[in-house]
Amino acid sequence: MGLLRKLRFYLDSAMVVQLLIPVVFFGLFLIVPLAAVAVFPLVPGISGTTYSPLLLFQDPSMIRFTSTRPSVIIRQVVMGGENLTLIAVFGPNYGAIPNSLINSVVVTLGASIFGLVIAFVMARYDFPGKMFFRVLAMVPLLLTPFINAFVVRKMFMYDGIISYFIHRILHLSYIIYVDYLAGVMIAQVMTFWPIVYLNVYASMVQIDPSLEEQAENLGAKGFRLFRTVTLPLSLPGLAAGAAVVFIFSLEDLGAPIAFREFDMISFKIFSGLRAAITGEVPPYVASLSLLLLALAMVAFLAIKKYVSLRQYAMVVRGGRWFPRVRKPGVIGAVLIYALILPAMLFTAFPQIGVFMYSLAERWTKTFPEGLTLRYFSEMVSNPVLFTSIKNSLIYAGSALAIIVLLGISTAYVVARGRIPGLGILDVIATSPIAIPGLAIATGYFLVFSRAPFKGTLLDPFTSGPWLLLILAYAIRRSPFTIRAVYAGLQQIHEALEESAMNLGASRWRTLATIVIPLLGLSILGGALVSFVYSMAETSVSVTLGGIESSQRPITYSMYEYLYSGYVEGPNLVAVMAVFIISIQLTVIVVTNFILKQRYAFIGV
Amino acid sequence: MVKVVLKDVTKKFGRVVAVNKVSLEVEGGELFTILGPSGCGKTTTLRIVAGFEFPDEGRVMFDDVDVTFRKPYERGTAMVFQNYALWPHMTVFDNIAYGLKVKKLPKSEVRERVMGVIELVGLKGLEDRYPLQLSGGQQQRVALARALVVEPKVLLLDEPLSNLDAKLRVKMREEIRRLQKRLGITTIYVTHDQEEAMSLSDRIAIMNDGKVVQVGHPREIYMSPGNLFVATFIGRSTALMGRVVEVSGENVKLDVGDGVVIKGRLARGYELRTNDEAIAIMRPEDFDLDKPKAEANELSGIVDLTMFIGAFNQVKIRLSNQSFKAYLDPDIEVRSGTEMTVYIRVDDVIIFPRRGWEEIEFEAVA
Ligand SMILES: Nc1ncnc2c1ncn2[C@@H]1O[C@H](COP(=O)(O)OP(=O)(O)OP(=O)(O)O)[C@@H](O)[C@H]1O
Ligand SMILES: [Mg+2]
Repeated sequence: MGLLRKLRFYLDSAMVVQLLIPVVFFGLFLIVPLAAVAVFPLVPGISGTTYSPLLLFQDPSMIRFTSTRPSVIIRQVVMGGENLTLIAVFGPNYGAIPNSLINSVVVTLGASIFGLVIAFVMARYDFPGKMFFRVLAMVPLLLTPFINAFVVRKMFMYDGIISYFIHRILHLSYIIYVDYLAGVMIAQVMTFWPIVYLNVYASMVQIDPSLEEQAENLGAKGFRLFRTVTLPLSLPGLAAGAAVVFIFSLEDLGAPIAFREFDMISFKIFSGLRAAITGEVPPYVASLSLLLLALAMVAFLAIKKYVSLRQYAMVVRGGRWFPRVRKPGVIGAVLIYALILPAMLFTAFPQIGVFMYSLAERWTKTFPEGLTLRYFSEMVSNPVLFTSIKNSLIYAGSALAIIVLLGISTAYVVARGRIPGLGILDVIATSPIAIPGLAIATGYFLVFSRAPFKGTLLDPFTSGPWLLLILAYAIRRSPFTIRAVYAGLQQIHEALEESAMNLGASRWRTLATIVIPLLGLSILGGALVSFVYSMAETSVSVTLGGIESSQRPITYSMYEYLYSGYVEGPNLVAVMAVFIISIQLTVIVVTNFILKQRYAFIGV
Repeated sequence: MVKVVLKDVTKKFGRVVAVNKVSLEVEGGELFTILGPSGCGKTTTLRIVAGFEFPDEGRVMFDDVDVTFRKPYERGTAMVFQNYALWPHMTVFDNIAYGLKVKKLPKSEVRERVMGVIELVGLKGLEDRYPLQLSGGQQQRVALARALVVEPKVLLLDEPLSNLDAKLRVKMREEIRRLQKRLGITTIYVTHDQEEAMSLSDRIAIMNDGKVVQVGHPREIYMSPGNLFVATFIGRSTALMGRVVEVSGENVKLDVGDGVVIKGRLARGYELRTNDEAIAIMRPEDFDLDKPKAEANELSGIVDLTMFIGAFNQVKIRLSNQSFKAYLDPDIEVRSGTEMTVYIRVDDVIIFPRRGWEEIEFEAVA
């Protein structure tokens, strides 16, 4: 009775439509596919197979108790007439499930420690060149799908620059070679640590300086101050960053492919889905996707206590007051310039390497060689690449249209609707940040290739994957826009809308004449970020995207050119990465300097 | 002229009962004020009338039409928000014209009426400015003009003057009163400033804690407060506690300690018996140094504290174990520690049962 009374009052046509848009969209293209991922393996018979998720644990490629390879091999080799000690680091292989878990835990720890240290230094110290450090910390987040891990592997080959540094510069008679799981770990820490850094930094600059001053006043200083005050207060940022790293690390494909670590959950799903391009989804894929989804959700829920989803997409928020910064002492300065700077340069190297690669004639030995712009013109003239770039622009652009609609509706309903239960919609709408793209891809395969969708535009086998790609991009990248619009709405006093309605304007009219004009910049800022990350989406693109060759998106082509053995492939992929980065940089400049908003840096 | 009726309206926010069974009748053309301390539910009541909030229980009627379920944009009310809520992306002209454009009036008429109201509120020449380029007082007038121009059935004002300085507040107050009478619009005015309420209103509803505790003309509310809350909230007041020694009809005698007896009148609607605990509420400005002609109490005590306020001298006089406040002629010098005698007419002393006193914490009583 009370509820009905309420609904009758609060639901007008505009509200109903605004509510239906996200409910229908997220329901059909997020909840239903994920439900399929959950239901297919658990309810035998639906899929026509009798595969049970428990079978995963009987498959030695999924889990086994002895490693199939030594973690480290040390061997004497002769190279260029010199006797050298080769240290080959591979990491163990206990099958896909333990491998993925070990990897994600190690990567999360590594990225957390590194991110925490850098965040502390950046938030609390002022030193010459700090601006450069700040920019450097962002470099690993530049979007270089597949190619950055490829470059990391080059660095860690026995003739890579790491070995070169040890052998030729330090004159030690060692060379190093990293591959498989160990390589995946290194590549992922190098890429993901800034996520922790950004979150922790945001937490730290928001700590009221007086809290630390009070503690100092009471005699705490140095590490004690950090441990007792600064760290606990930064914990929400740390928890958020660590959880995101954990999830991204689980679903990452670039590093496992580059380092040939094929026994990983993400790779198994990926290869299973690619096999499905020619037919049915192999039975274990849904089970594995369910496991991936469950792990991501656990990580996500575990930190919910600390951070609400809301903070996620706009992880970086500015501090209002001037945080406490001081000059480092002598030891501090030495550490900053002699240890931290080289470490940051090291993690930025893959992106720097991609730039060099795009301009190099070849990179077959230690360093790139020969300067050329040839590959840029080749990218444009190569019909396959050109088509995939064009496709991606169309897909991302179309996804953008959906995202804007979805962003406005969802944010508006959540911010302004007075209907109970809207909190759930809020959680659902922001959850794609934590939902592995591979689980979505699996869900799309399971749902849209059979009745009642068989033969429709949604069916990837009859119509090609273009529509599903657009929808997947829209779902996966909508949180950026939704959060931006939501933040914008919170800046608009509700009375501005109420006074319009009070003067006789319907909710539709109020939306059109008051809300949207006032939200313009927020919508634009969020949409630009969504667009960039749609262009760089990989999980769905390299699985569903491969079904119809004329509809392939750019990231699919990047994967293919990198690993199909085509000699000039990597050069062309580097050029494509530079193309994506240039779009990303444009967006960063526009959002930060023209729209004066914070660019949301997370999205991988 | 529309009559606005609220019938047993209740609105809860979670556990907070913001509005509790409120019933009001606002006559057509009347300027009706809702007055009460912060957080008592004034804004919520107004928003229910405007249709921004939906009551959990009860009904809202305009004349005899039930509008409880009507959307805000179907009610024909016009509200002036506390923060004005001017649209920053529209000029003064566009802000004011908005309601008329919504009604799809012809352009020429929109222009004519907007210019008319701009003239009326004294904003001529500012029509192309944006709200951020206006002073607080000008913004307030734009908000008022925007509400008036649509010729609303009901005008709703939520503390429209609270952001202005004291002088401007008085000036705008008079202007609102004048405009309202001239246009004859039923108006509900919300404020927590009792001077504003007194000077402006045809009638006042006093709210406390979500409930309407008294409705009446300003004079009536001031002269015969219906309960302790109103007695202490309206005007300044001072109190003496005691025990009833005699009740005869309206007249009550109260022993306030050490045999000092105060005579006063029983508050309307209450009952007292001998030996009941009671409280005498008096207004400090009603005390006199000379014995008045009418029947009066004579109170003698030691001056505890004097404070020169300007228009009067505030004196705190101690009886045996409690004290009261009196405002005296500033020309007469009073020294702390001296004994002094003051008079107050029996009619100016209102006696309430003491029950409920502890819940009223109001600094005016001390
Ligand atoms: N949207 C809301 N959600 C939760 N509680 C609310 C909401 N609006 C008002 N309240 C609560 O309801 C009570 C009445 O609020 P209301 O705004 O009506 O008071 P008010 O009399 O206008 O006060 P003031 O003079 O301070 O403006 C308060 O306790 C307030 O905290
Ligand atoms: Mg209020």
